[in-house]
Amino acid sequence: MKSIRHAVLALAACAALVTAAEPLALTGTGGNPVSVKLEGKTTAVFFVATQCPVSNDYNGRMKELYGEYKPKGIDFVFVNSNSTESAADVVKHAQDNGFTFAVHKDVDNKVADRFNAQVTPEVLVFDKSGNIAYRGSIDDSRAAARITKRPLKDALDAMVAGKAVPAAESKAFGCTIKRAKKQS
Amino acid sequence: MKTLAVLIVAAGAMLAADLKPVSEATYPKMVAASKGKVVLVNFWATYCVPCRKEMPALVSMHQRLSAKGFQLITVSADEIEQEKDAAAFLDKTRVPAPVYIKRAKDDDNFINSLDPKWSGALPATFLYDRQGRKVKSYFGEVDLKLLEADVLKLI
Repeated sequence: MKSIRHAVLALAACAALVTAAEPLALTGTGGNPVSVKLEGKTTAVFFVATQCPVSNDYNGRMKELYGEYKPKGIDFVFVNSNSTESAADVVKHAQDNGFTFAVHKDVDNKVADRFNAQVTPEVLVFDKSGNIAYRGSIDDSRAAARITKRPLKDALDAMVAGKAVPAAESKAFGCTIKRAKKQS
Repeated sequence: MKTLAVLIVAAGAMLAADLKPVSEATYPKMVAASKGKVVLVNFWATYCVPCRKEMPALVSMHQRLSAKGFQLITVSADEIEQEKDAAAFLDKTRVPAPVYIKRAKDDDNFINSLDPKWSGALPATFLYDRQGRKVKSYFGEVDLKLLEADVLKLI
């Protein structure tokens, strides 16, 4: 078990080396380019979906996190990488769910590929140097009543307080990101 | 006519999938219970479109190879709220028993105990030889030809 844990920690260390030297190149729902600079601030990037029931179960929790941590200086970026969900779908979904934040499209899932995001919802938190400080799930249960661990909240609390993140990684769970088919 | 109706109801009842809980503690016992067979454990969920898409092919493989000592075991990653839907899908797709539902004490530990390289994304499939040793992990939708070739090597 110890060796497995060591392997996971080694993977986490590798992940930390993936820095955000380049800004995130996203697309607004109006088709406009959106460039998100990650260095100089703490940024939480959420990979979300319109149709995934797991991601949708977290809509309320994402709104709460945004409401709680945005005023504490954390930037939030919501990304839809699913090739099967259009910009119009994203706009309607945001309106239907009362999002007070924008969700950007990740055309050809380039951002998801760059950071190896696999599912929705999945979160990456970047520190002020642009390094990944946390990646994984929001919490450990799709059903809010059965949550026992909140690794994202723990990470954000630590970063707001200027402390070390207690756990740099957790296993994200949800629907697989529907990637665009590569041209052969 | 009454007897026929009773028989139909009884047959329907027999078809209802009996999802047994499996945790990180009981998973090794679950695999060991099929010792002597080549075992394929498939993790899926009702919300996972590629999982639902590949399931009929896995069932077909079980039907063709079970006489040669092949056993398909499915583990649903659904929550309690979706358990009925999961059972309905298993019935509709005629997925053979045993069928399980993941009830992990700690999801990260469960996932890491199966394969630390597994992100937890579904579907995920694990192949075990007749001695119950894990031979291969498949993440995402499986290449069915490759999977069947791997299974046949072990049979």
